[in-house]
Amino acid sequence: MNQTMTTNRKIRGALSIPVLTGIILTVLCAVNGKAMIANKTGFNFFVLYTAIVMLTTMALSINLNSGRFDFSLGSIAVLASVLSCRITFALLHGGTGSAVLMLVLNIVIGAAIGLASGMIYVTLRIPPIITSLGVTLVLEGITFTITEGKYVMNEVRNASMSAFAGNWIWSALLIAAVLAFMIWIFDHTEFGYNYAALKSNQKVAVNTGIDEVKNAVICYAICGGLMGIVGFLQAARSTSINGGALNFGSIAIMFTAFLPMFIGCYIGKYCNEKIGFLLAALCMSMLNSTFAAFSNEISAFMQSIINAVLLVVFLIYLSNEDLLKRLLRPSAERG
Amino acid sequence: MDEKKKELQEKNRKQQLLVTLLPFAALILLFVILCIVIQTKGYRLPMYLKIIFNEGVVLAIVATGATFIYTLGSFDISLGASTLFAATMGVMTYNATNSMPAMLGAIFLTAVGCSLLSSVLASVFHIPVFVTTVAMMSVLSAVSAQIITVNGGALGGISIPSAAVAPYDNMAFKITVLVLFFALCLFLFNFTKIGRRQKFLGGNPVCAKLTGIDMNKYAIIAFLIAGTGVAIGAFLTLVYTPSVTTGTAGSIGMNILVAIVFGGMPISGGPRSRIYAAVTGGFSYIILNNILKILIDSNAGYGISQIISAVFFLAVVYVTSMNYRSAYLPR
Repeated sequence: MNQTMTTNRKIRGALSIPVLTGIILTVLCAVNGKAMIANKTGFNFFVLYTAIVMLTTMALSINLNSGRFDFSLGSIAVLASVLSCRITFALLHGGTGSAVLMLVLNIVIGAAIGLASGMIYVTLRIPPIITSLGVTLVLEGITFTITEGKYVMNEVRNASMSAFAGNWIWSALLIAAVLAFMIWIFDHTEFGYNYAALKSNQKVAVNTGIDEVKNAVICYAICGGLMGIVGFLQAARSTSINGGALNFGSIAIMFTAFLPMFIGCYIGKYCNEKIGFLLAALCMSMLNSTFAAFSNEISAFMQSIINAVLLVVFLIYLSNEDLLKRLLRPSAERG
Repeated sequence: MDEKKKELQEKNRKQQLLVTLLPFAALILLFVILCIVIQTKGYRLPMYLKIIFNEGVVLAIVATGATFIYTLGSFDISLGASTLFAATMGVMTYNATNSMPAMLGAIFLTAVGCSLLSSVLASVFHIPVFVTTVAMMSVLSAVSAQIITVNGGALGGISIPSAAVAPYDNMAFKITVLVLFFALCLFLFNFTKIGRRQKFLGGNPVCAKLTGIDMNKYAIIAFLIAGTGVAIGAFLTLVYTPSVTTGTAGSIGMNILVAIVFGGMPISGGPRSRIYAAVTGGFSYIILNNILKILIDSNAGYGISQIISAVFFLAVVYVTSMNYRSAYLPR
């Protein structure tokens, strides 16, 4: 974030994309006689989806910003939620407190899987992209073996999970808690300072005595914990878990986080990057709600195309921002 | 002192040789195990070999073309979707014209066009190649799915008459195609400046640029060759199964990565890139998966076999990369 910027400019910069997105999509819906968020249920899912996108984006960015490509995010979310819903169901039989217990277990199991993934990376010392390929296949295989390739439904369909998905307050609280945790750990702890140093110059950071292995393993554990929460939120949203993904079938979730990650990084020039991810997730959630409002007109295939085009257009803008600014500046000013 | 240095050099040479030979040894070993497993189970060996070859040949060809992209240290995740899209356009063209040359033309134009679009977008607009390929993957999958669903249904898919491709559905034709494409790639990779410069660019892009090598030009060439591989892969997919569903070639995109690494090539590209890696790695991976499928014959067995093949994959990569450890964690 640029420290010399005025507060006014920071606010304008940070809010420009979400506000513009909101206005465009609201007008688009209004013109066609629709509402982006039609009722309370719509709002509940809006906040829930925002949480899913924000957490996935944060998990993706932690390792990707450090040059570590991780394909295993989706498989961590699925395995953590399959294991935790099975344990929760065995203990509470879908009774009161199931959602809370499943959430806690999801975080713990997700973090443990992430930790294991990080340990494999630092032990084998092979490029993280390759490690993550192997880890993804292993985790998908474990999930498939546990579920026999079937959807898990009975264990996640209960009053407690419905109550969670049916009240936006819980998702909002999760967003606030994760945001506070991420800002604290990455911006106000020794781990966070070391992470920033390793991110900007690995060799110099290691030569100054920073323990890279420890830092990387913690990053993987945090990613795992975040994806554990995503697994829980996905289960609450769709009331089932797909246990049949094999041969990299679980990596699709990662690709949905690319656009919000780039938007979040852009907004991060004007405010804290994590808040940028939240605002980017809000934009994606507004887009998702608009797609839902136009579900009869815009097919799922069309939605994929629109998302991909938006990703490319935004990146073209990002990569050529200076050039565009120069071109758009009045000629007198340029001369 | 000199003797010690010589001893160290000799040790390094032996290790290097071991690393080079390991993927071939693994392929031969896996093939022998496959034959033993099939004979022990009492299955028909020629039938299984035909199935494995048909699965492996598409992966090997597409991955061989993709090797040029990976040599640059670049990455293309859309190749599976490109194969699906090219096959879809091929089927649509054949059904509209009843002409095999028109179908082949459509497949090649589509595959090469998609590949070029990714690289040109990245070059002209200065965006990371990987991101353009992620976007291309989404677009091509979605467009293919839309065409397939509208014209034939998501499950049944679209198809061409099997008689149209029957003359090409034999081992001799497929082996010839594989050998010819591999020979062309081998020539370009090892005996022309295209291969040399691509390895240089992958190993040290800054230095390569300073010596006057145009990164964009060689990226476009790499994508062009990869597109050709995709086109041949799409055609052979149709020859083997003359129908296209939304799941066709779904796993090829990621399996290319696994095949290349399995064959002993570093994912970071550069001078240690090997053109044969895709063929040895691709067939090794397909054979390993089939061995495990035969041995663990149950629904849950698919999961277990995937776990075992993933562990084997990591072990092979670990052994083949043991010469290249640095003080820092690799990125």
